[in-house]
Amino acid sequence: MTTADTRPSWFEQLIMLSGPDSPGQSPAWLDNARAQARKTLAELPVPNRKQENWRYSAVEGLLKNSFHPTAGYVPDPQALDPESLLLPSFETYRLVFANGHYVPQLSSSERLPAGVTLGNLRTALGSDSKWIAGWFGQAAGHTEHLFTALNTALANDGALLHVDENIEVDRPIEMIYLNPGQDDASLIQPRNLVVLEAGARATLVERFIGSGKARYFNNNLTEIGLREGATLAHYRVQDESRNAWHLSSLYLSQAQQSRYRGTTLAFGGAWARTEYNAHFRHEGAECVLNGLYTAGDRQLTDFHLDVQHSVPACISRERFKGILYGKGRAVFDGRILVDRQAQHTDAHLTNDNLMLTRDAEVDTKPQLEIYADDVKCSHGTTVGQLDPEQVFYLRSRGIAASAAHRMLCLGFANEIIDSIELQPLRDYAIHRLAITLNEAVARG
Amino acid sequence: MLSIKNLQVDIEGKNILQGLDLDVGAGQVHAIMGPNGSGKSTLSHALAGRDGYEVTGGEMLFDGHDLLALDPEQRAHLGIFLGMQYPVELPGVNNMVFMRESLNAIRRARGEEELDAVAFMQRVRDKARLVDLDEKLLKRSVNAGFSGGEKKRNEILQMAMLEPKLAILDETDSGLDIDALRIIAAGVNALRSPERSIILITHYQRLLDYIEPDYVHVIVGGRIVRSGDKELALELEKKGYGWIEEEAAA
Ligand SMILES: Nc1ncnc2c1ncn2[C@@H]1O[C@H](COP(=O)(O)OP(=O)(O)OP(=O)(O)O)[C@@H](O)[C@H]1O
Ligand SMILES: [Mg+2]
Repeated sequence: MTTADTRPSWFEQLIMLSGPDSPGQSPAWLDNARAQARKTLAELPVPNRKQENWRYSAVEGLLKNSFHPTAGYVPDPQALDPESLLLPSFETYRLVFANGHYVPQLSSSERLPAGVTLGNLRTALGSDSKWIAGWFGQAAGHTEHLFTALNTALANDGALLHVDENIEVDRPIEMIYLNPGQDDASLIQPRNLVVLEAGARATLVERFIGSGKARYFNNNLTEIGLREGATLAHYRVQDESRNAWHLSSLYLSQAQQSRYRGTTLAFGGAWARTEYNAHFRHEGAECVLNGLYTAGDRQLTDFHLDVQHSVPACISRERFKGILYGKGRAVFDGRILVDRQAQHTDAHLTNDNLMLTRDAEVDTKPQLEIYADDVKCSHGTTVGQLDPEQVFYLRSRGIAASAAHRMLCLGFANEIIDSIELQPLRDYAIHRLAITLNEAVARG
Repeated sequence: MLSIKNLQVDIEGKNILQGLDLDVGAGQVHAIMGPNGSGKSTLSHALAGRDGYEVTGGEMLFDGHDLLALDPEQRAHLGIFLGMQYPVELPGVNNMVFMRESLNAIRRARGEEELDAVAFMQRVRDKARLVDLDEKLLKRSVNAGFSGGEKKRNEILQMAMLEPKLAILDETDSGLDIDALRIIAAGVNALRSPERSIILITHYQRLLDYIEPDYVHVIVGGRIVRSGDKELALELEKKGYGWIEEEAAA
């Protein structure tokens, strides 16, 4: 049993484990950040359902596992089946991690344009880590979040991307996280940092791939900093093992006129939660978040969005769609905060859920907190079933009921899939969704 | 081809069709008229096999098949097509993809080869031209945001693509401008053949000027109360339904 004050013993062990590297192994700023996080970790209460943020997503099941870091893990590039990782005709600069460890043999970042740094944290710490010091923990550091603290306290490796001023990266950058697991309760914690300097433009694709029935907890964290006028298109595909826990924490910090466009697809995991924290630092920035999720038997998919308008004239759009089947569960919590000085904010949020079974469940909670008076804000959420008239229409045209259901589900998801601007990724998304829909329709 | 005997249909426990008889032979065109709410669309949906239309009595035979034992898609595989009074919008479902799925599902069910992409495109283009449907509508979601007339043309396009043995067109003429009416009629007439039959549900004589029916039936209160030839439609145009309703009540 876990309550607010009884933290699981593996946590205590981790806190001890997360002690500083032997002197000189990592830079002082990182030791400091970790020490700070350790403190937070030791002080913060364990999440429980009485906390609003955790009301619908029980963490007891997660915490009762004895997770431990995959410190001794050495990836075997051959065994990881590199071919199966790659999407057809998708030319990218690529970083591959296995159980959170960088796998240089599978990565490919040759011929990177000048002004683009792409690599892993561990390696970078040994050499040029100055720019990292300036950003690390800036967006994520001040939150009182247990799992953010856990990630920071043990921060060891992860993906790094830095794009210099006014550079446009000519290909998408791909970060692939393979999670075969190690034994039965691996703790995998990529710690990522993405920074686009003023006027830079890039497309980033992150893919989480779990193998088979592996049990692990992927507690990943990504900080994203966009300087003035920078543009990032950011795609994420979460396809963790169906026995995995997955927590993605994204911290987004946007300067003037910067544009962030995030599209996230969530298919996998037993318990998968994504938290977006977007903070506008200066006027005229734009943040668009699109999401598609599915959940079936023994799956919980949770999105927590927190968009803070604390300066005037920024735009935010959030559009999330879910397809739930079997006994699948989803949680959607979309918060938009508009401070008093954030006049001319333009913020809209929608969440639509398609329930294929009676046993599926969704808790959707839009929260608009508006303290400015001259703003354009709206939100809307729906929970519905397949429309029998639509199903009949398709069947009357000779299409079998199961195929009709699939077509309508794809139609429902289409708005999100269509917003994927990379053809190979869009094809993959349709293919991947079709697999889930086959399962969903067969399961009924 | 189609034989309906003493058909009784309930919707939500309410008896709508109250013993309807209709025989449609191969190659024939039957027009069905009747006041609002008399059961015309109920008949068309019952023929296509829509859920919730509970057949409590009677029978429907199509080419010897008992329709009551068949799912809607199986009826479509046999060659039944329903052009709907209110075509449904399918947001996110591409019109072209939908028509290809539909055509190939029917071909598969009949043991025919699927049309490949090229052959399909050729066919859909030809047929779209026939019903004068803007090709842009093919790239959009099925009926989503289509005007009333565009939806009806899209129904006729599907009919032209599928070349059904029995086409039931439920008020396909309602809401069409004069030109569109002519085009739709041309589409229907192009389908006419000794093997194909057509049931036209309509309120207007005008359509029958373009598509000449072999028989005209009047439904009142869930029953066919009068049948005749095309002269009956002209008479109805002049006199309305009052006299038939009175006769039926008597
Ligand atoms: N889902 C339903 N629930 C209850 N009653 C229904 C339902 N659908 C149809 N009805 C009723 O069945 C009757 C016949 O309707 P139907 O649509 O067949 O009429 P119609 O002859 O096609 O009329 P119109 O000329 O207006 O199209 C009407 O009284 C209608 O209200
Ligand atoms: Mg009707």
